[in-house]
Amino acid sequence: MPGEVQAEGLTKDFRTFQRKEGIRGAIENLFVRQYQTVRAVDKVSFRIQPGEMVGYIGPNGAGKSTTVKMLTGILAPTEGTALVNGFVPYRDRTRYTRTIGVVFGQRTQLWWDIAVVESFRLLQRIYEVSDSDYKTQLDTFDQVLEIKRYLNTPVRKLSLGERMRCDLAASLLHNPPLLFLDEPTIGLDVVAKTNVRQFLKEVNRRFGTTMLLTTHDLSDIEELCKRLMIIDHGRVLFDGALAELKRQLWQQMWVRIELREPAQAQALESLSLNNIHRERLDELTYRLVFDREEHTAGEVIRQVVSEVDVRDVFIQEESIEEIVRRIYTGPSVLEFGR
Amino acid sequence: MRRYLSLLVEYFLQYAKVRLAYKGDFLISVFTTLVATGLGVVVVLLLFGRVPRLMDWGFYEILFLYGFGLIPMALFNVVSINLYYFGDRYIVQGNFDRILLRPIHSMFQILFEQFRLESAADAAVGVFVVAYAARHLGLDFGPLDWLVLAFAALCGFVIYVSIFLMLTTVSFWMEDRVGVMPPVYNMMAFGRYPLKIYNVFLQFFLSWIIPFGFATFYPAAHLLRRAEYRLYFPLLPVVALACAGLAVALWNRGVRNYSSTGS
Repeated sequence: MPGEVQAEGLTKDFRTFQRKEGIRGAIENLFVRQYQTVRAVDKVSFRIQPGEMVGYIGPNGAGKSTTVKMLTGILAPTEGTALVNGFVPYRDRTRYTRTIGVVFGQRTQLWWDIAVVESFRLLQRIYEVSDSDYKTQLDTFDQVLEIKRYLNTPVRKLSLGERMRCDLAASLLHNPPLLFLDEPTIGLDVVAKTNVRQFLKEVNRRFGTTMLLTTHDLSDIEELCKRLMIIDHGRVLFDGALAELKRQLWQQMWVRIELREPAQAQALESLSLNNIHRERLDELTYRLVFDREEHTAGEVIRQVVSEVDVRDVFIQEESIEEIVRRIYTGPSVLEFGR
Repeated sequence: MRRYLSLLVEYFLQYAKVRLAYKGDFLISVFTTLVATGLGVVVVLLLFGRVPRLMDWGFYEILFLYGFGLIPMALFNVVSINLYYFGDRYIVQGNFDRILLRPIHSMFQILFEQFRLESAADAAVGVFVVAYAARHLGLDFGPLDWLVLAFAALCGFVIYVSIFLMLTTVSFWMEDRVGVMPPVYNMMAFGRYPLKIYNVFLQFFLSWIIPFGFATFYPAAHLLRRAEYRLYFPLLPVVALACAGLAVALWNRGVRNYSSTGS
């Protein structure tokens, strides 16, 4: 079905050989090669429905781009299968690639030295888009991206933000039901980022385009994606809604207390609070850090205000960045999430 | 097929727009190409002007051979430029991924993403030299002969491109950058002289291993009405097609390997 992604036990092994150093090593390399197999993606399974916007995140080297390369047909999986838009990507590549759009934030697909519109025209021919469809698409994109004013500028003279808008438009000229985005907001300023996100939302709303995006910027996910997949060491660690991730992995809670006067510090210090970490930020400000499983914020605050004269209370949840950082760095979180 | 032909035109126009954005650069390049090729012809004139016969080949026959050889070579030079950069620009730098994401055969894209249009000027020099030599030889060189010549040049062009495509596919398996292309490129010149001047081994090699002899010498000998090579000429399209088929098959294998290794 168009716009649908099915991955079943998708696995990719790479074989690298150990190069020996020096002249002698170089000669030995010619005859004896020691190979090492590295599993980049390990039995990844998921299903994306038409019209979904899914964030795919993970630290560098986690297997994100290898997965995307298998889904786009660049790489053949070592094991497992992918069925995307009803095609087996690497096998039906030429027919399959007509039904997808791919945007690399780091790399343009436009011709560098010629005006943007010339690249668009050539892409129109490559994807066999009719003149009327081409015009409609361009008008639609222009409403959000305002690209028409750059159309006659050579790509090399565009700023990164302008180039990105043109690249987005280029990848959607043939109105594919599925769009892959590899770090679409990398290097962009705040305004350009907002613009790109707004455009992606609009395209998804209007055409029901399925989108899979990899990113390091979690605000992309918060803005765009209801669903999030986290991959590390080739395995999917989490697949679910962003809210679900928070519910499962949101561990710590911070309460900041502003005292009415320095004298109250004594009262706060002498409170007996079980397993609550007290941190003095300055003479009037304290931070209490505790585990959500053990205490509720309400109970902690009630205990504090009954004994101490408090001016303000601020409750902070752990940010999504903080949660993801914990997932990337600590292996134990895996069990915690399950 | 029709789609690919019209895409070829589109790709070429795209390239032409870039080139014409820098007119001065392009004109100078055409000029230097013409001078270099012209000097090559002058060297042949001087060299063989002093040695009137090479085995049983006369001066104007040598000149004819040389002139004909320029034509398929020029066509080859127009499209081959990307092949030299393939390993580095496409495989190592990863641009081949972008190629695989387009709904066109990857080989087509590699051949026609870049051209070297100024090399086409060499073909004009070649035609001029052939016409000049043919007149001095007193050959009755009519329109049909020119048609045969065009066909033979096209076959030669296919042979050249196919052989270099096969060498390019090495990059799919090995990232070592020490190219085998430059020595083979230099060997192309061997096919421009009567094969008889070489030893038996080299003759065989240039006919059946790397058939540069078929790209230039055999068709030129046929056009010179040399009866002793008449059996070779009909084989020309067969050799060209075989080379092309082998190149495509090898290329597809290379792409498959790329897909499984990602290197």
